[in-house]
Amino acid sequence: MTKNVTVHRKRSFIEWLRSRDGQKVLVMIAFMVVPLLLLLVFTYIPFAETVKFSFFNMKYVGVRKFVGLKNYAKVFSRSDCFGALKLSLYYMGGSVVQLTLALYLATILSFKVKGGNLFKGFMFFPFLINGIAIGFIFKFFYTRGFVFDTVLQWCGFELENLPYWLKDRSINNISLVGTSVWRYFGQNMVLFIGAIMSVDGELYEAAMLDGANRFQQFKYIILPSIKTIFVLNVILSISGSLSAFEPPFVITDGANGTGTYFVVMHEIAHTQQKVGLASAMAVVLLLIIFTVTILQKLFFKYVFKNSDA
Amino acid sequence: MKLKKVLSICLASVLTLSLVACGNETGGQSSSEDTGKSDVTAEVIAERGDIPTYTQLDLSKYTDTAATIKFVHHKTDRAEDGTMDKMVAEFNKEFPNIKVEMEAITDYAEDALLRLSTGDWGDVMFIPAVDKSDLATYFMPFDSLDNLSKELNFVDSWEFDGKCYGIPYMANAQGVLYNKKVFSDAGIDKLPTTPTEFLADLKLIKDNTDAIPLYTNYAAGWTMGAWDAYIGVVSNGDNTFMNQKFVHTAEPFKDPGDDTGIYNLYRILFDAVANDLIEDDYTTTDWEGCKGMLNRGEIGTMVLGSWAYAQMQEAGDTPENVGYMPFPMTVGGKQYVAAGGDYNYCINVNASDNNKLAALIFVKWMVEKSDWCYNEGGYTVVKGGKNPDMYAAFNGCEVASDQPAKAGEETYLNDMNAESELSFNAGGNDKVQRIIEAAATGSETLDDIYADWTSKWNAAQEELGISVDQ
Repeated sequence: MTKNVTVHRKRSFIEWLRSRDGQKVLVMIAFMVVPLLLLLVFTYIPFAETVKFSFFNMKYVGVRKFVGLKNYAKVFSRSDCFGALKLSLYYMGGSVVQLTLALYLATILSFKVKGGNLFKGFMFFPFLINGIAIGFIFKFFYTRGFVFDTVLQWCGFELENLPYWLKDRSINNISLVGTSVWRYFGQNMVLFIGAIMSVDGELYEAAMLDGANRFQQFKYIILPSIKTIFVLNVILSISGSLSAFEPPFVITDGANGTGTYFVVMHEIAHTQQKVGLASAMAVVLLLIIFTVTILQKLFFKYVFKNSDA
Repeated sequence: MKLKKVLSICLASVLTLSLVACGNETGGQSSSEDTGKSDVTAEVIAERGDIPTYTQLDLSKYTDTAATIKFVHHKTDRAEDGTMDKMVAEFNKEFPNIKVEMEAITDYAEDALLRLSTGDWGDVMFIPAVDKSDLATYFMPFDSLDNLSKELNFVDSWEFDGKCYGIPYMANAQGVLYNKKVFSDAGIDKLPTTPTEFLADLKLIKDNTDAIPLYTNYAAGWTMGAWDAYIGVVSNGDNTFMNQKFVHTAEPFKDPGDDTGIYNLYRILFDAVANDLIEDDYTTTDWEGCKGMLNRGEIGTMVLGSWAYAQMQEAGDTPENVGYMPFPMTVGGKQYVAAGGDYNYCINVNASDNNKLAALIFVKWMVEKSDWCYNEGGYTVVKGGKNPDMYAAFNGCEVASDQPAKAGEETYLNDMNAESELSFNAGGNDKVQRIIEAAATGSETLDDIYADWTSKWNAAQEELGISVDQ
């Protein structure tokens, strides 16, 4: 601003404001101030507080004691904090399944399919249901002898041979990941379909004339064209798997070896009232997500550089 | 001119926004602000001196008090079925000018703490898990412990420096819910009095009936934390253990060898799980559903406080089969029953004097005249009050409440709970769930778990510098 004032030396500040340039700036400020204010008040200030809290030994109420980096040391030394991140591997595995499924169905549905819109609607529908409600649905879905077991019995399975979906520790995390795949793959699919629609139809024709089959069309036309959306979806799914919360919290309450990093954090912050430690966990998770996202960016840069050339 | 327009629009929007903000604030606070200026009652207070203490307050002299107070509570079920409104309507027959606004919070234990830190949550609430040293920061004292304990039971749980900051709305006795018909069908003619007898009876239920002997309610979480209620006087007959000795004990989880103590308390759970005396799939238990199941005789026993009794009775067609018995543990030839206050009423220290007075009147009326405690099947809070019939099986047992912590050590138990993360009687559900998981999967023995607890307990004692009695 001061720079402008010095450039138009002869104009006073008020005159500058009245000028076209000045009006532009004013309008810009007027439009930006609301979103920026909201962002500041509801994102950055709370985050700064979280960082501050992470250096204290404190509860929500009562006195706070400065402890320096002790909370961070605890995050790394406690088995339950970092151990919980291992569960994220299940969710990452789930997100691979989810993205593959979404991409496969999106590709099929973007070609002419009978009742395509109906299928899109059905598969997108789970995303519209509230996460808590989904939790309750699946609690009953997985209950012994309820929906899932009944359906499997129709298919010829014997109840005695079926596992306990939430009790058996070797599969309960897979059951939970299943709910999150069910919920999100429709959304991924719709995003992919949107991106695939933008591909010029003539490319397919040209490819067909050259004798390319559907898989080759997918590999050489569709995939490169939707790489931005694809990368975005992968990054969102991976950071989503690191911060998985709703399925384990609602369905199993984090018990029986299903407590993800977020559930453990919630437990520490709200039951044990160790707000400082939980804040440190939050900051560490943020750093992990940063790192993972940057690594992914680099990885995709490398992968797609080759395919472009 | 354009500038003026832009500026005026900006100003106008800022003003509107700030008005909206103010509107919200006063909306939330209306209870303490608006009526604080009511001249009539301000005069009343001036005329009659300071706000009386609970025992001084003579309800009949204050029927003209005018105020609007807000009551924040956790009884969502009673708010839904109209019980709360009915009680307030009764209250307004005597005190027509005190308007009571109510808000029921589902996730009370957490939400109440968060609201408390904001200061303007209302006038009356139930005390969430705060440190005793902070009581005076948030709440108005009702009276001295000496005065109050002459008239009411169980008022010492929120005492600090001789003053009481909380009065329970009802009291619970800690026993075990059971289905009388299941017991007689299984051939049990005498209620069990020791963990070993109890486990044998569970086995009989399994062998002779179709009922689930012990329903754990594992999935609900807090129902597991309910087991902690028996670690005090019930398991060792010492009413100073829970709040005084526990934090100083080196090995609180050691087996005393006579079927008592914390060791044998959780052993019931461990052995019941290990011997398949619980529900088939504990990870999908259903709290709302289990009430009807107990009522109908599909469940033999459930370990829960007496507050659950009324709900179990209401949940089906055979309320007469729902029974309540003392916890099966005998210390020195005697069965102890721990009785203690449920959530405690408290009054916001930041409220205006007028609202404090109205709040005090409301609390006193609720405690002494609403019959809420009796209707919920609670153990009487007013000394000499009537007790519901369900406590018949408690005849011959010693009813005791845990003594408060010693002066200067009031925060020790909370500190130990937080530091060790075992959270006894403070939402430590996962540690009890762990017992079930261990017993079902064979991943740990009970002794492994107790060894881990002991090391956590000792580490916390060391961290906090709490002396340990050998």
